[in-house]
Parts: sequence; C-alpha cells; structure tokens
Amino acid sequence: MITIEALTVPLQGKLLVADTIGRPVQAVVASDLMSDVLVVTREDFLLVTSLASDQMIRTADLVGAAGVVLVNGKKPPASALKLAGDLGIALIVTPLPKYEACLALGSALAGRESTP
Amino acid sequence: MNRLPDLTPENSPLSLVELIYSTRIREVMTSEVITIDRHDTMRTAQERMRDNGITGLPVVEGKRLFGIVSIHDLISAMQIEQLDSAVERMMTSRVITLEAEMPLSMAISYFSKYPYGRFPVLNARQELAGIITVRDINVTLINRLLQEVSRFESLMEADITPGLEMTRVFHTRRHDFEHGGHASTTIKKHLSEHHVDRHLIKKVAIASYELEMNQVVHSIGGTISYRISPDKVEILVQDRGPGIEDVEAALTEGFTTADDWIKSLGFGAGLGLPNAKRVSDEFYIHSKLGVGTTVKAVINLGEKR
Repeated sequence: MITIEALTVPLQGKLLVADTIGRPVQAVVASDLMSDVLVVTREDFLLVTSLASDQMIRTADLVGAAGVVLVNGKKPPASALKLAGDLGIALIVTPLPKYEACLALGSALAGRESTP
Repeated sequence: MNRLPDLTPENSPLSLVELIYSTRIREVMTSEVITIDRHDTMRTAQERMRDNGITGLPVVEGKRLFGIVSIHDLISAMQIEQLDSAVERMMTSRVITLEAEMPLSMAISYFSKYPYGRFPVLNARQELAGIITVRDINVTLINRLLQEVSRFESLMEADITPGLEMTRVFHTRRHDFEHGGHASTTIKKHLSEHHVDRHLIKKVAIASYELEMNQVVHSIGGTISYRISPDKVEILVQDRGPGIEDVEAALTEGFTTADDWIKSLGFGAGLGLPNAKRVSDEFYIHSKLGVGTTVKAVINLGEKR
C-alpha cells in the first residue's frame, strides 16, 4: 500500500491538494489526451500529465483517478486547484519531466510489491 | 387573452407574446409627466422643454388633457412670431391617446401605426395618468426578459426530485472550457451520493463527459439533459449546429476535425463519439448540417444495483 502523499518523495514533488480519502495508488497512467484517460478501465490510478488545466482534473475525477501529477513543474491555474479541492482529487506538482516522473513512480510502486 | 402555459423551451416565443399582452401600459409608462397649462405661452413651453431636455409637452388644465405641444409646433410658432401666444392656440389638439389599463401590445401597435415618439396615457376617469415612449417599452421589455431568463435558468438548474430520480438540463457554450464538464461532474456526484455502482457511474461519466465536451469543442452551444430513473440514465444532448458532415466517419476512432488549439488542450483525438458509444447500452445519433446534432445515450442501471 502506497499513498499519494508518500509518492511525493520519489517525485521530489509538492503536494498542492491533499487526497481526502487516502486511497492507495494502484496504477499509473501517463497521458495528455482526455479521451485516452477516459478509456482507462481501472480506478485509483495516478494520472501523470503535462496539461495543467481544469479539464484534466475533471477527467481524473470522472474516471475515478486518485490523483494527478503535474510534470515539468507546471503551475496549475487557481481554478484547477480549487476544482481539485472540491472534487477531492489529490494534486502533486513535480519538477521532473514526464518520463523521469514515470520511472520514479514505477520504482516506488515496484518497491511496494517486493516488500509487502 | 387566455393565460398561456408556463415557460418551457418549446414555447418561449409565446412567453414573449404573453408578456406584451399581460403587461399593462400603466406598468410601463412614466407617471411623473412634465406638462404645461393650456393658458401658458409658447415661450414658457419652449423654456420648459429646453430645461427638461424633452421634445414634447402634454397640454393640460388640472388633470384634463387638451393636446400636445411638440418641437414642431414650437418651430411653427417661431416662424410666425407667435411665441407669446397661448399654448392652446398653437398645440396639436387632436391627440391620439392610450389608456392605462390597455395591454402593452396596444402601445407597441400604436408606435408602428403612427409616426409619434410618445403617447399620453389616460386613466379610467379620462385624466392624464402618464406618458409612454418607445424607450419606456424597451427598458421594460429588456428587464422583464432578463427576469424570465434568470427564472428559466434557475428552473433548469434545479433538481426536481430529491432522490436518485432526477431530470435536469444544463447548457454548454462554444469553447467554454472553464465550465465544460460541469454537467458531467454534477451528475457523477449525484449518482455517487445515491450509491450507484462505481462501474456504472464511470460509464455514465464517460458518455456524458465525451458528449458534453464534444458540444463545447465542436458545436456553437446547446443543452445536455439527463433523465435518471432507478433502471437507467438517459443522456440527451442537443446542439444548435453546425451539424456533422459525415456521422459514420465521426463514429470512427481517430477521425477528428479539431484544430491544433483544441488538441493542445487535450481534446480532439477523434475518440469522443466512439468512446461515448462504447460505454452506452443504447446510442442514437442524428445530425443535420446547418441545423445541429442530437445524441441520445442510455446506460442501464438495472442489473448491477
């Protein structure tokens, strides 16, 4: 079990909006395309994206994602922060580029599996 | 005029008709009228018009109307050097009047029938009660219409029943990415609050969101309506155009007409309609170029609840 909050460490990121439910992260999806995110069937995943928009937050909420990771140190607009708070979607911003962010998340999640 | 039915999207032009028939002239007119006594001089009339910035004065004695003195009458009086004559000698005495209890529609028809910018309004005792101008009518109609629109919008945004069952209509506007998705988020929240199965909620959310954002991205605006019953969620989206040229192509994955700007926002991958169709148990689309697109998507809730 690894929480979103714990993942801010390998991501060297900052938790801008905390996860209200404390859902464990089950998977990672990286995409900048809403429709690609909308076809993901699993839930409680972390959405890694470089799109810092309200719509990414909405998309994450609608598919039941646990949180959003904004890469490249993208600053989300105030409206997106508010929306994330309202919808209970965790929001992390990381200075890492998308590929490195995915690698960091990958090893953190793999580490979880090897040490139960 | 009989009372028309309540305001709905189907009869909104009628609501305008109702408005002009049910509003009385007395509600629209200006009741504080600047007048002139019939024994006053044209010079006094000239000064009064100048001081008040108006172009006509009802001529009265007490509350009784005798005529109207207009800027034209004033010019005529100047030409024949009659500025010191009594107003009643120079005024227009055949005045067309309206009555305070008449419907506003009457005033509107008078303005198109006669070349005057104002009409005196008489009360039931045939006394001068006010004056009505085109401006009075415009201001009133705009205010009333704004009230109607607000009422209409609050009606649409309001829940009709407190339970799971619900009928609700939302509006979308072209390229309004700030509010786009609001309808879907609201419906998802409603279904979650009523403990609908998570997977079914996700199907509704996906169909709804794809269709809603399609409207924001591609149409000039429209409505997205939901009818939720214990066995199903029906989503009806209707836009006002421009319509889809090739519906078959639009239902093909990867087909898109979106420009780079839309794509930079994460939309327009050509997956919207196919995605919405994939998660729906019933899916119907009709589109006509220049008219608009209607999509109905149904997600059954029956089996999993």
